[in-house]
Amino acid sequence: MACKNGYQRKVRDVYRFISENLYFNRPDIEVKGERYNSALLFGILTAIYGGKELIIGEPGLGKTTSAEYVGCLIYRYPLGTIWGSEVSGHPEQTEEKIVGRPHLGELNRGNEVVVWSNFVQIPVKIVDEINRLPETKQSMILDGVDRGNWEYLNEILINDEYVLFATANYQDKGTNTIIAPLVDRFDVLVESRHPGPNIALQIGRRSRLENPLRHPDFERRFHEVLRTQMPYEEKVSRLEELCDLFGEYLKEELGVEGLKKEERQEIRRELARVPVDLDANAFLRMVLAEFSFCHRFGQKRSVEQCAEGCHYTGYICYHVRNCASNRLPTSVIGYSQALAWFLEDDEVDIEHIRTVLPFALAHRVQWRDSYISKKEGEGRNDPLQIYLAKEATEEIFQRYNEQRDYLLEALSVAYQAFEGEEVTPLDGDHPLYEEIKKDIGSK
Amino acid sequence: MKEIEEILKEIWPKARKKHLFPQLPMPQVVEGGEEVALEMKSKQLQISASFLEGMKGLISLEEALEAVLDHGISHYMYCPWDFHTHLTLYSEAKKALKDKRLAQKATSYFMDVVANTYCVKERETKLPELYRRLPKEGVQEILASLYQKIWGIDLGVEGDHSERVRRLARIPYLEKRLWGESIKKFAKVIEDLLEEEIKAEQGQDKKVPNPLGEHSLDNYSLEEIDRGLRSFASTVEDVQEFKETIEDLKEELSERGYAIGGMGRGEGNPIDADLLYYMKLAENYTLPIRKLPLEKSGDLHPYSHSPWEVGKPFHDIDPWTSFGKIMPGLTQTWVRREGEIYGEIESTPDCLIIIDSSGSMTNPRERLSYAVLGAACACNAYLKNEARVAVYNFSDAFRGNKLLLEFSREREAIYRAICRYFGGGTALDLEDIAYLLKQADQPDIFIITDMQITNLEKLIEFFSGIENRVTAVHLGHNVHTARFREGLKKKRNISLFLVREKEDIPKIVLGKIEEYWSSSL
Amino acid sequence: MRNPFEEFKGQATKRREIPLDQILRSKEETLSQILRGYENLLKNEAKDLVWLMQYSTVIKAYTIAEEGIKGIDYTAEDIEEFCYALDKTDQIPYLITGPAGVYISALCNHAKEDEITLRLQDLNVKINLLGYRLPEGKRLIVEGNVGDFTGIGLDGGELIVEGSAKNYTGAGMKRGRIVVKNNVGFNTGHGMTGGEIVVGGRIKGLGKIVGGKIYERDHLIFPSEEMKPFFF
Repeated sequence: MACKNGYQRKVRDVYRFISENLYFNRPDIEVKGERYNSALLFGILTAIYGGKELIIGEPGLGKTTSAEYVGCLIYRYPLGTIWGSEVSGHPEQTEEKIVGRPHLGELNRGNEVVVWSNFVQIPVKIVDEINRLPETKQSMILDGVDRGNWEYLNEILINDEYVLFATANYQDKGTNTIIAPLVDRFDVLVESRHPGPNIALQIGRRSRLENPLRHPDFERRFHEVLRTQMPYEEKVSRLEELCDLFGEYLKEELGVEGLKKEERQEIRRELARVPVDLDANAFLRMVLAEFSFCHRFGQKRSVEQCAEGCHYTGYICYHVRNCASNRLPTSVIGYSQALAWFLEDDEVDIEHIRTVLPFALAHRVQWRDSYISKKEGEGRNDPLQIYLAKEATEEIFQRYNEQRDYLLEALSVAYQAFEGEEVTPLDGDHPLYEEIKKDIGSK
Repeated sequence: MKEIEEILKEIWPKARKKHLFPQLPMPQVVEGGEEVALEMKSKQLQISASFLEGMKGLISLEEALEAVLDHGISHYMYCPWDFHTHLTLYSEAKKALKDKRLAQKATSYFMDVVANTYCVKERETKLPELYRRLPKEGVQEILASLYQKIWGIDLGVEGDHSERVRRLARIPYLEKRLWGESIKKFAKVIEDLLEEEIKAEQGQDKKVPNPLGEHSLDNYSLEEIDRGLRSFASTVEDVQEFKETIEDLKEELSERGYAIGGMGRGEGNPIDADLLYYMKLAENYTLPIRKLPLEKSGDLHPYSHSPWEVGKPFHDIDPWTSFGKIMPGLTQTWVRREGEIYGEIESTPDCLIIIDSSGSMTNPRERLSYAVLGAACACNAYLKNEARVAVYNFSDAFRGNKLLLEFSREREAIYRAICRYFGGGTALDLEDIAYLLKQADQPDIFIITDMQITNLEKLIEFFSGIENRVTAVHLGHNVHTARFREGLKKKRNISLFLVREKEDIPKIVLGKIEEYWSSSL
Repeated sequence: MRNPFEEFKGQATKRREIPLDQILRSKEETLSQILRGYENLLKNEAKDLVWLMQYSTVIKAYTIAEEGIKGIDYTAEDIEEFCYALDKTDQIPYLITGPAGVYISALCNHAKEDEITLRLQDLNVKINLLGYRLPEGKRLIVEGNVGDFTGIGLDGGELIVEGSAKNYTGAGMKRGRIVVKNNVGFNTGHGMTGGEIVVGGRIKGLGKIVGGKIYERDHLIFPSEEMKPFFF
């Protein structure tokens, strides 16, 4: 049962405020009869879930600004503080600029004291153009965000909450790619699109000087706290006090409340409690089966080519080169729960999964050239990665729709078989039936 | 009408949930159309208020609306699902009935039966209640009788149609893989009734309405039509089947604004079914070409930092990021990388396609010609990389059986040139080839032939003297292919493909392109 | 290890059955029984996938076929389904058109219906020996083309072929009527002793006919001045 305790209203207010006043763009996805802009919606979901979002897009289309606004309002940090904490991607970035540096005075006295960067101290972490960072630095950031631990010179800083927004331009000359093991660690991939000429003009006409989320006075006070050498735990409570004050300012001046830390933590607990209905559960299993199964080699492996003439050439497993990681279901379920909570739905259903899945899948799949060739010429509004993921989602959904009852029965029988009852697992053409048999047999 | 809209707002979320959330916009309620409850245009369901008002005394508005929505959503979610399925069903029905209008009607009714039966079996639906109240004449009466039998629900049909219905009831409507066979059986059983219906329509000069909506190209967007044609081209047995279906639908496609080059070009270009076939089929085999990367400059320059370790050289230490200290864990050293510069910029070469259309080659307009298909795939690959393509289509060139198309990016013109079939003798005019080669800067050559060329020796001599990259594909193995291979085996710029089965052509041609460009990078 | 299917405990949905499911199931069952009978016939009569077309082998095959179909409750549509099943090698181990035709003839002769229509236009293979011993009171209509030995030994029934037939049509027929809308091949009516063969198209050649009548395009061509009965 979704907790309807007013938090959803607050978060939806944040969405509404940003879309009406700050980040102007067209709605491009529809869920439960309502239309949303995917970049902003997933930004909000990432912020409340505490995930890692990769935002792509052409230069100057609001990739970083959307993340900044979301981080600012959900976490109640002034925009200037957010700016000051961003890591920008260029090859010369060092660990000292990203994580922390030695205190120079203490260093000359022979003491190891770390001055932590703002980036690691505040929960909102934004990396601009992450693909321009060398791989070692990308890995360092992702490790830190995954674990919440930052280490430098024998000292450790532990974040108890964090969210990562990383932006990347499309691959062009002079940039690194984000290698597969690293890109897999992002929960979702979204595109910040061009808003169209009419909205773009509105953006162009706005004054650069008026940004309601800036507050020099608060920014100074935040900076003072961040630069002190007090223990981090104490610093966190001081920062929260400032966040509360800034939150009151936001409420008075802009009519939008951010979220307190306790509220965010409570929301995360609520998200985790949102149940997943059977259809969503079964559909997701079907998806995972198609992205990991290989009849010939046991599982998909990027170093092993699919065989021609395999029985399963009609399934997605034939069109992909790599195997879906275990982070995929984590991301899908987590974001689906966040979406269901956001929409005040009682449980995660198949529509939530279908909405979230393409964005969780797009950056994780390596498609075969033949599949890309077939699809890349088709008319679309999404970048190719996301489009292919959406197409695959719909294709699998059609299969699910056709055999839903039978599949649910098969899973029910599988439960019995796994418990040791004398039942025969149901047969079917889909890879999931084979996987069920393996699970039962391997017990 | 307002009342209906209110009820719709309430029912629509429930209907969506019931059908697992189809990606359809909120249906619209429209005036007019008393005899037809539902229309579907590019995923937009339009429900007739007049029809529902007309049903008021017989069935509640909620039930009628729910039933209509179930019907419309089932068409979207199950049968036909997409335009490709619709085309396939139509094509099979046409094989059985041999008449376009009969086949269209049979397809429409078949899809209704499948969608309705799916709904009744898999979902809670009010469709039987609606059908009980609908007028039952002609084919509708038979179908209602059929529904009675296969759903096990009384729909108030009284006539004796036991013989016909018995046969219809044996058809496995919910077995998707058997739909092709099923529609043929279905069509044959009701053929005479469909003929009567068409006669009646001609007499009254008015279509007999299907109460729950017609099925036509209007149900699909242009993108869906394009995609459906592409899938259909790859699944039909031969070009004739595709051609026949397209010829039947030519008018409707033109009215929809679908032109051979793609969508949105208006009604100007008449559709050539053969061209469309190869175009759509080749789209299934297109090859991605890697963009050319930058050249390496050969110079190393500082790129990024990494921690300095004891034992590493000093000369790359960056003192500015090391806080003036040389100590492990603090000091940073530069990692150098080779720069990338624009050297000699290579672009994708243009391509001259030389295709043999002599009598020994398959006529592409009669049967699937893998030579034409291979050429079409190659054409697509080059055009996609913004290269130009020229075509030299030859039979007995010296007698005028040849076609020269100069380098261009006009897809339709190139396809027309490739698909042209002369069917005469086999002789190349090398001057034509030399002329075309001069029109571009060192273009690639793709030649597709069975090598039974009268002046083969001259061709070998010609290829020996050029440096253009040549991919030669020949069908079968004969003394001429052996001679060709022997004559050019020392030329590194020439790749030969022996094709034992015609099905190998698309794969090999495309693979070799990749190899070529990979090797040149 | 935790049961990975825990959420689906007790969730086996009772799948709704409609009469269509029962009809299809019954159809499949009947077809299986018919196929078993056919396989049994092949096992006995065509061990090496070779079947010699001879008077005695046909009789023997027919007897075995009759045994094979005893107790099966089938309709004319089931016979038609069986004919199409013969076309698909994934359903039938192998097709030998002679025994298949005899088997189908047995099915037709013992069918409940007096009039049977087999719509075989889409069949790739042309079945031989259709209409073998068709008894009086039975009417067999075949839409499509048929093979050799069609209607041989016809025993009073009416066989209508809305297509063409090949050689030995009506050979050895005793009584009854064969109508072929299009053409027939050689040795038409060979050994027939009675009954009528009516051909709407061309007859490539007549056999050695003992009795009965043969019409070609509404003209009586046997018996005629040019064609007299043959005595074996």
